Amino acid sequence: MTDEPENPDNEPRQGSDENRFDLSVPTGKFADDDDGSRPDVEKSKKVEAAENLASAESYKSMGWKGIDEQDDDEEEPPVSFGKKEKIPEDELDMTPMVDVTFLLLIFFMVTASFTLQKSMPQPPASSDEASMNVQEEEDAKDYVEVIIDQNNTYYVTSRGEEEREAPSETEMRTLVKDAVDTFNPERMVITVHVDATYARYITACDAGQSNNLTIEAKTTDIEF
Amino acid sequence: MSKTDTQLTLKKRKQNPDDGELDITPMIDITFLLLAFFVVVSKMDPQQAVDLPRATFGVSVQDKDAVVVIVGKAEEGSEDQIFLGRSKDPSIAVTGTDPDTIEEEVATYIQGELSANPEKDAVMIKAEGNVKVGLVETVRKGIAQAELSESRKLYAGIKEEQQ
Repeated sequence: MTDEPENPDNEPRQGSDENRFDLSVPTGKFADDDDGSRPDVEKSKKVEAAENLASAESYKSMGWKGIDEQDDDEEEPPVSFGKKEKIPEDELDMTPMVDVTFLLLIFFMVTASFTLQKSMPQPPASSDEASMNVQEEEDAKDYVEVIIDQNNTYYVTSRGEEEREAPSETEMRTLVKDAVDTFNPERMVITVHVDATYARYITACDAGQSNNLTIEAKTTDIEF
Repeated sequence: MSKTDTQLTLKKRKQNPDDGELDITPMIDITFLLLAFFVVVSKMDPQQAVDLPRATFGVSVQDKDAVVVIVGKAEEGSEDQIFLGRSKDPSIAVTGTDPDTIEEEVATYIQGELSANPEKDAVMIKAEGNVKVGLVETVRKGIAQAELSESRKLYAGIKEEQQ
């Protein structure tokens, strides 16, 4: 502990026995290394501290707590402070990296949904014979017919009722829904003029799909 | 019993502040794993240039499992064209003008794609909303000529939209 030269002869024998007895291993050196006067002061301090510690331990063992715990907490900060100063030097600060990584992760999660193409199931591509079959089945009348003419106007017919014109997509959807609620058909036959817009045809398909109708589609170049 | 309990909790309280911060290494590991997964799964391509029609009802089809035909304008103001592939590359545009030639070209392309990639089980038409139905119908007839088995389904690409 001290750099003073060894002086074993000056070492006080008096009191050293009890010191040794009290302080046991860690303080054992004091008796050998230190000279006369100063060690006495230091030792007496140490002895006091050790006694305090011992008494504190005894309090704890008695199940008494309160001041001791507070004392412990108060003693902590300097210890942990010394350690905390070292940590940033040892480890890299990963916070910005984590931030960027999360940003990339979110970006790729959002863009990944594009690989799944939303699509509308289509009836098998029709040849001329197929459309003949459809016309034969028309007698069954368990279907809703949607006609899209060359001017992109919808006409909805259900179970032999009169053809009803639907100028807007919303009206067409409503008419199809009404027909489904009234007659509970299974199929939807879409007749579309070749000059009609594809988006209108898809909307008609969508109206059928959302009512769980089987879609049949045919095109015509006959003007309505 | 109670004595040891209090001592244990005291020790834990002492150690936690010494650790400083929470160990975030496993979280970073998992985050990187997810990041790598999504980087691999997603692909950046310019195919979204197709202005697909809107619909509320749509089923999800794996893009890579489908043979794609695009119908649309190569650029603003030009004629509607048919592209046999996933991009509006002029080199893969259908050259024929009359319906029979177009049908034949589409049929040859679909036939070749399906025999080269037997795992593909769908044909998808990505047609822009403002093309004429007649042009799409021509493509469908071409596909009908090439369709090999019943299990291969036909889809129309849409953009999903809530009402």
